[in-house]
Amino acid sequence: MNYLNYAGEAFLLIPLSAIFLNNICNKRFIEKHFHILTGAVALLQMIAAVFAFYIMDANQMLNFDFSVFGSSKITGIELFDINPVSLVFLFCIGMVAFVSVMISIRTIDVKKGSYVNLLMTLLIGMNGMVMVSDLFSLYVFLDVIGISSFVMIAMFRSRKGLEGSIKYLIISEIASIFILMGLSFISMKTGSLSFKDIGRNLLTNTFELQTILIYAAIILMIAGFSIKAGIVPFHSWLPDAHQSADTSISVLLSGIVIKIAGIYGIYVLTNIFGGIKAYQVSLAGLGIISVVVGALLAACQSHFKRIVAYSSVSQMGYILLGLSTGSTLGIVGAVAHVFSHAAFKSTLFTNAAAIHEQTGTLEIDEMGGLQSRMPVTAFSSTIAFLSTAGIPPFAGFWSKLLIVMALWGSGNQILAGFALCASILTSAYFLRLQKKVFFGKTPEHLSSVTEVTGSIKFAEILLTAVTCIVGVLFPLIIIFLHSRGLI
Amino acid sequence: MLNFQTIMLFVGFLMIIAGCYCMIRTYHMLKIIIGIEVAMKAVTMFLILAGYMNGHMGLAQAYVITAIVIEVIVAVVFAGVTIGLYKKYGNMDIRNLTELKG
Repeated sequence: MNYLNYAGEAFLLIPLSAIFLNNICNKRFIEKHFHILTGAVALLQMIAAVFAFYIMDANQMLNFDFSVFGSSKITGIELFDINPVSLVFLFCIGMVAFVSVMISIRTIDVKKGSYVNLLMTLLIGMNGMVMVSDLFSLYVFLDVIGISSFVMIAMFRSRKGLEGSIKYLIISEIASIFILMGLSFISMKTGSLSFKDIGRNLLTNTFELQTILIYAAIILMIAGFSIKAGIVPFHSWLPDAHQSADTSISVLLSGIVIKIAGIYGIYVLTNIFGGIKAYQVSLAGLGIISVVVGALLAACQSHFKRIVAYSSVSQMGYILLGLSTGSTLGIVGAVAHVFSHAAFKSTLFTNAAAIHEQTGTLEIDEMGGLQSRMPVTAFSSTIAFLSTAGIPPFAGFWSKLLIVMALWGSGNQILAGFALCASILTSAYFLRLQKKVFFGKTPEHLSSVTEVTGSIKFAEILLTAVTCIVGVLFPLIIIFLHSRGLI
Repeated sequence: MLNFQTIMLFVGFLMIIAGCYCMIRTYHMLKIIIGIEVAMKAVTMFLILAGYMNGHMGLAQAYVITAIVIEVIVAVVFAGVTIGLYKKYGNMDIRNLTELKG
């Protein structure tokens, strides 16, 4: 399994060596070619994920343990571990990072060196988080993600960026306190924090201090990861942080960071405590509130990026609903929705970058009739919106279908009905967005707008192709994975 | 019921409540980071208590050192953002931050 070991180490060592390369080389040289360095790292990550999946499939393996820098295993601290689910997450990370680089070529003019450093740190944090197999390492990588996101939002020192960053920082630190407190409570009973040492067997019926504290730990950790994911009672930082950052950074934050930092944490908790009824009910409750309230709040915003950010809140609710069932179908649906959400949310933020580059504004009331002037942007945003609303045959339809089927199968028919009806709300706010931006009369000051060119157009076409192709081939992919015994 | 562990747990909860009260009550940015730090100290104490209760003190030491390092980095980033805001607004009142509504 030598090759697999290399692939696993590559996820951490390639971004690390890119940081060294970025700081050693001549500054003017690296500022001219920063997109080649970062784009190569993102591409290598996608290739390594596909390659590792191929080798694991050929050898009929379901997980693989490896060490970085020859670290050895001690009690309570486990080795890194890759499995098919983490490979899906790793592929999504590579894809969104690639899109971010494509946008940054046009939008970032200063501080390119800092952008490369922070993006690579963020990649190390996210790759590490989906590969660890104990809760304390998970927390460490979670804070690596958090710290690089705070700095990335505040990077250009505009008023909005600093405000969004400080809001995110305060709320996210409260989440860190909750998560660390929860895992210290778990550690009080077990003495170890690796995933395989903790589980439902901790919850005995005896009335003692440690058992009560484990219930407290579950509540605290759900709350902490929900804050990181922007689930509705804890969502207030999300639109501000995502709106105020540069678009190449908002695509990272909305496209992948909330999913790795929040949803992956909840996925880990589901693997550990998934069978408990109270856990499932609380996830389902948070999920359905998030779906409905996120969609309603998105419908009354007037800034392009705010609408898309609130749409993220709503879609995170769908993923929570999928995880709340605890069944294999629900988890497959949730992971599939992570992938399709990464694709269509990146498309919408790329559209935001294109519109901002060409018109200089993102207030939707000031726009109109851009469809004939920016046909590629209009087409890709329509595809992304259809995928978000769950219209067949795009990728979002299949993942939502799996989630609704899992909900129905687990006996939550009312929740399944609500989740279906919320799709109408999704179409409502996106139809409003489409009508105001792309249809209607063109105002006077936008009459000379032309289509965006270069890397942003390339990213739009690429992501639209991903959404369409995965949507058309989705049943085949599911049948293939089923025949391999992975589902 | 009133043994060492329970007393330390209560002390920790009191510290967390004190930190959260400090965060809610004040409008000064540096006082908010002090509140966060107080709450983080309580969590650090919980980690040590966990090591005492399960008998793995060595592991608890490793956890605590890592947690302290992360805490310091967060404090530094917070101070950096605060200095940026101070240069823009001229004071450290958090009620001035009205650019983002929602």
